Amino acid sequence: MSSNRWLATGNYFTSYKEEQRIFFTSLDRAAMSLLLLCLFIWPFFIVVDNKYMLVIDNILVAVIAVMGLNLVTGFAGLISIGHAAFVGIGAYTIASFARVLGDSHALLTHAWPLLILIAGFMGAVFGAIVGLPALRLKHLYLAIATLSFQMIFQWTINFMNFFNQGQTISVGRVVWLTGQVSRSQHYIFWYYAILVVIVFCGFAVRNLLRTRYGRCLVAVRDNDRAADAMGMHPGFTKVYAFALAGFLAGVAGALHAYLYRGVGIESFTLHHSISFLAMAIVGGLGTLPGSFLGPLAIKVLDLQVERLSEWAGAHLTFATNLATALRPLSFGLVIVLFLMFEPRGIANWWRIARSYVKLWPFRY
Amino acid sequence: MNYFFQLVISGIVVGSIYALSGLGFVLIYKSSRVLNIAHGQIIAAGAFITYALTVWVDIPIYISFPMSMVLTFFLAMSVERVFLRRLIGEPIISVIMVTIGLMSILDGLIYLTPFGSENFSFPPFLPTTPISVAGVSVSWTQMVGVVITFTLIGAFSWFFKKSTVGISMRAVSDDQMASMSIGISVPRVFGLAWATAGLSAAAAGGIIGNITGLNFETLHAFGIIVFPVVILGGLDSILGAVVAGIIMGLVQQFASGYLDGNWGLSGTGEVMPYIILLVILLFKPHGLFGIHEIERV
Repeated sequence: MSSNRWLATGNYFTSYKEEQRIFFTSLDRAAMSLLLLCLFIWPFFIVVDNKYMLVIDNILVAVIAVMGLNLVTGFAGLISIGHAAFVGIGAYTIASFARVLGDSHALLTHAWPLLILIAGFMGAVFGAIVGLPALRLKHLYLAIATLSFQMIFQWTINFMNFFNQGQTISVGRVVWLTGQVSRSQHYIFWYYAILVVIVFCGFAVRNLLRTRYGRCLVAVRDNDRAADAMGMHPGFTKVYAFALAGFLAGVAGALHAYLYRGVGIESFTLHHSISFLAMAIVGGLGTLPGSFLGPLAIKVLDLQVERLSEWAGAHLTFATNLATALRPLSFGLVIVLFLMFEPRGIANWWRIARSYVKLWPFRY
Repeated sequence: MNYFFQLVISGIVVGSIYALSGLGFVLIYKSSRVLNIAHGQIIAAGAFITYALTVWVDIPIYISFPMSMVLTFFLAMSVERVFLRRLIGEPIISVIMVTIGLMSILDGLIYLTPFGSENFSFPPFLPTTPISVAGVSVSWTQMVGVVITFTLIGAFSWFFKKSTVGISMRAVSDDQMASMSIGISVPRVFGLAWATAGLSAAAAGGIIGNITGLNFETLHAFGIIVFPVVILGGLDSILGAVVAGIIMGLVQQFASGYLDGNWGLSGTGEVMPYIILLVILLFKPHGLFGIHEIERV
């Protein structure tokens, strides 16, 4: 405790163990606990319309997916333009179960935590397969490999009868301790379910980054030859970065399937891959807070864009295309502007604000 | 057998357009090591500018086609100037992501115009009766398209081999530091590479527009299929882009001609290039004609 008060003025760690703690100060720990508490209890006090609850759930699902993308693109430095396809793998794992067993089979409705895990593992397997070229290649080629995976995925879903040719495959309502989750409780139930998953994943990723495996990722990103010389295996590291990203994406996809109670190809196209990338970039690549702030910012922006184009559609007659046009336009602008002017993303603002508050009233 | 030759003909027609669009892509990669993900959008822009000039402004196509090439030349140049110039020296990952952002922006801009949602087709300016030789028919548009494509490819090759600007581009792609020291302005060469790529993209777009009609989705697909083409040919080889373009066109036509309908398959032409791409990446990542200096990890 005594060393904590000096943290703001420099690095006073005396052991590596101390430097790698999750919470540096007890204030950090208290703030995190308070945040978690707030996230868990606010629905008791504020009643939110179902439409907005869906948006909130969507943000949380995107957080999980972006955490995966951040691992592979932010921490391991490998661009993935096919992240929506990995999310789709997870969702379609659930859909395959629904297709084979029928959409309200007990396995699907009762054992959903297990199925979410299975979906995660499927995502991990596909991630590792797509990451295999990483054993030989560098980022340029990997970006293209992931892009082609996205295209192959879309084709497979669109042309296979088993997957209903991309049309919606419905998934039944799940059952919880209190019985089947009803229509009115659906979004709030999944809010809690996804939140619990996020807390698990968040701590898992934070812990991963403290271990040798996580620091391996960063070392390989910064200089793979040096990492090789230090005894790490860069190729293997890249493949498991893809596998981890695939796992988180698969979990996100499964949650998406359960949340929407159906799976259709329109949620996993190239546009979604790009919007995941936008979230990761806006949040801040290679930072954990970025994985939370990015989806929040982009989804809120998305909501505003939608509102704007609705308004424009009602008032301006020539603006029929505006709705389809504004979304890619705003995404693209946000990506480009952030990369040009704030490549470290919103997480950097967060960092600046934190240190300002910490040092107040002194400037530095 | 006629069916086979028909497929070969249409494969060569499609393939030559792939070759032309792959050429522009390789140009950018070769000089500035930027993977231009927005190439399809530039092709689409070129096609739409050609259409707008031809039909809305009512300029004869043999003037509007070169005009749109010139306009796209400046469009691509300004894109480089505005978005990519300030990223010189940044890590390659952020440059690639800027082109992804660019792709989104151009998408949005195209959706704002009527081209985003509607289909257009050029008014026919050539005889519409196809030429038919021994049962294999080729339309005039296809013929003229292939001829223009190969003329352009020839012109570009000459440009690279002989002209001063082309030689300076090759010098920059070889060694930026050395070419700076002999007085070549590297940023200017980057701009010119983008501009030339825009030029070839506009030509490709115009030809596609004349052959298949204008549809944003199709043009979009043309932009993404550039990747398998350039990977197969080798990312930094112009000859590779041309050969691989034609191979890819043939593969697509054969796949959709012979595989579709059998074993419940459909749309194989769309996916085959990407399967080839993944296989090539695994086994021969420098492609057919690329330089063997892939950095291994």
